[in-house]
Amino acid sequence: MFGWQGVAAAVVLFGIGTLGVVLRRDLVVKLLALAVVNSSAILCLVSLRVRPAAGPPLLGAGATPVMADPLPQALVLSAIVINFAVLALALVFVMRLVEQYHTTDSHRIDRRTRDEDAE
Amino acid sequence: MTALVLPLARFLFGALTVAVGHGTRVFLVLSAVVDAVLIAGMCTVLRGGACTVTFGGWKGLGIAFSIDIISAAMAALALTLSVAVTLYTWRDRMRPSIAALLHLLLGACYALAFTKDLFNVYVLFELVTLASFLLVGADRRPRQVWASLRYLIFSSFALSVFLFGVAVVYTHGNALDLDAVAAAVARSPGASWVHVAAALLVTGVAVKAGVFLFALWLPLAHSQAPPAVSALLSGLVVKMGVVQLFRLSLAFPLGVPLTVLGILTALLGIVYALWAHDAKRMLAFHTLSQIGYLLVGFGAGSEAARFGVIDYAVAHGLFKALLFLAVGEAAAVVGSSRVERLVAERRLVPRGTRVALAVAILGIIGVPPFAGFAAKAVVESGISSVVIRIFVFVVSAGTVASFAKLWPVVFARSSVRTAPPRAAAYGLLGTAVVLFLPISRAMGPAAVWAATLRGSAYVEALAAIAVGAAAYAWSRRRGPRLPERLFRLEEGVLVVLAGFLLVYALLRGS
Repeated sequence: MFGWQGVAAAVVLFGIGTLGVVLRRDLVVKLLALAVVNSSAILCLVSLRVRPAAGPPLLGAGATPVMADPLPQALVLSAIVINFAVLALALVFVMRLVEQYHTTDSHRIDRRTRDEDAE
Repeated sequence: MTALVLPLARFLFGALTVAVGHGTRVFLVLSAVVDAVLIAGMCTVLRGGACTVTFGGWKGLGIAFSIDIISAAMAALALTLSVAVTLYTWRDRMRPSIAALLHLLLGACYALAFTKDLFNVYVLFELVTLASFLLVGADRRPRQVWASLRYLIFSSFALSVFLFGVAVVYTHGNALDLDAVAAAVARSPGASWVHVAAALLVTGVAVKAGVFLFALWLPLAHSQAPPAVSALLSGLVVKMGVVQLFRLSLAFPLGVPLTVLGILTALLGIVYALWAHDAKRMLAFHTLSQIGYLLVGFGAGSEAARFGVIDYAVAHGLFKALLFLAVGEAAAVVGSSRVERLVAERRLVPRGTRVALAVAILGIIGVPPFAGFAAKAVVESGISSVVIRIFVFVVSAGTVASFAKLWPVVFARSSVRTAPPRAAAYGLLGTAVVLFLPISRAMGPAAVWAATLRGSAYVEALAAIAVGAAAYAWSRRRGPRLPERLFRLEEGVLVVLAGFLLVYALLRGS
C-alpha cells in the first residue's frame, strides 16, 4: 500500500477525521478524530514520494541504486512529535473543563460559557 | 547570523527562566536588551541590501532565513510589543512558567518573520499555537480554557491541511524553499498541482492570519484572553500569518483569491464590530476587518501597495496592542468590558489609560498624522481599481463608526492616576503610534512616499471620519441580530473546508 494508494488512504482518513471533529460532540472523541486528521497529513507526506523498490537512504556499504527519499521521513518525525504534544495539552485542557462543567459535550460547554458571558 | 541568534536567544532565556525559578523580570529585561542590540545590528546589515542565509545546505535543501525589510519590521514590532507587555505586567509579578511561554512565543515569532522554508513555517506555527494556547488559558478560568481549546483544534486542523500542501509542493516542485518553489511554479504556470498546493497552503496560513471563512475562532479567543495576551495575539501572532501569506503571494499567483478573501474578511469584521456590545469583542472583530484591508493590499500587487501593507501591519500591531492594553485595564477597573458599563463608569478609568485610549483610537481611525493615516495612505496609493478604493473607504468609515462607541470613555473627570509601569507601557506604544509617520518615512522608498502624501489623502481621511460619524448615528438606531452559530466549533471547521474550495475555485478561474 504505497504511493498513490497511500495518498488515497490519506484523503479518506482526512475525511473520516473531519467528520469526527464536526459530528461528534464528545470532546475526547473529537480530539481523537483530530489526531486522525493529523495522521492523515503525515501519511500523505510519506506516501507521495515513494520510489518503487527503493533501499534505505544509506551511503557506503549496502547502498542500493535507488534510495528512498530521506527528507519526508525526517519531516514526518517532527510532525509526529508536534501532534503528540498538541493532543496531550488539549486533553489536559479538557480535564479542566470536565472539572468545572462535569461534561465533555462540546455543545453544552459552549452554552454554559455563553450563559456566563451574559451574566 | 543575527537571524539565527535572535530566536535562539529567546528560547535560551525561556529555558533559563524556568530553570532558575525566580528573577523573571531580570530575564525579561535582559532578553529585551539583547534583542534590541541584535535588531540594530541587523538594520545596519540591511542597509547593504536584503540577504538570505541558508542553514545546513544539504543538496539545496537547507533552511533559508531571509533578512529583508519585512523581517526587520516584524522583528522590531515583536520587540516593541514584548517590552510593552513586560512593562504592563510589571506589578503583577509574572509566574516563571508564563514568562517562559512568552519567551517561547517571541522566539517562534522572530523565526517566523525570517524563515522561507515551508516545513519550518509549519513547525514554527505549531510552536506559536502551543505557546499562545497555553497563554490564553493560563488563568485556568473555564471560559478562557474553552476559547483556547477551540483555538487549538482549529489551528491543528488547519496546520494538517497546510502539511498536505507541503507534501504536494515537495512532490511536484522538489523543494521546500519558497524561492525554489516560486521558480518551480514559474516553470509550470496553470498546472493543477499549483492550484491544489496554493489552496492548501493558503487555507493553513489563513486560519492563523485571521482571515474570514478560516479564522472564526479568533473573536472568542482574542476577547477572552488576559489583556497582555490579547495584545500579543492581535498585535503580533496574527501578523505572522499575514507575513506568511505575503511570502506565499510572491511564489503563487494569489492576487484574485486574496482580494476576494480580503473584502469578505473586512466586511464581516466591520458588520460584527459595529453592533458588538462588548469592547474586547469589538476589538477582536476589528482585527478581522484590518486584516481584510491588508489582504486587499496584497491583491493589488503593486510595489507601493506591498510596502504599504507591511507598513500597515506594523502600525496595526502598535495601535491594536495599545487598544487591548488600555481597554483591558479599563475593563478590569470597571469590572465589565461591556461598552455601556465602560461609558457609564468612565470616571473610574485612570487618566493615563484614557489618554492611551484616545491616542490608539485616533491611530486606528486614521486621523492625520497618526500611524493609521500614514499606513493607509500608502496602501491606497498602490491600489488602482476604483471599486476597491471605494470599498477601502467604506471600511475606514466603518472603523470610525464602531470606535465612536468607545470615544466617550476618553472624556471624563477623574483624578485616578495610572500606575507608573503601565504608564510607561502606554507611553512606549503611544509614542510609536504618534511618531510612526516620520519613522516609517525614513525606512521606506522615497518615491512611494512622494506619491502618497498628497492633499487628496488628507481629504479622504477626513471624509472617512465624517461619513463614519454619520454612520454611527444611524447604527445606534437599529440593532440587527447577527448569527452567532457561525462561530461555533463544528460549523467553523466546515466553513474552513468551504474556504478551501473557494480559494481553489478562484485560483482555477483566474
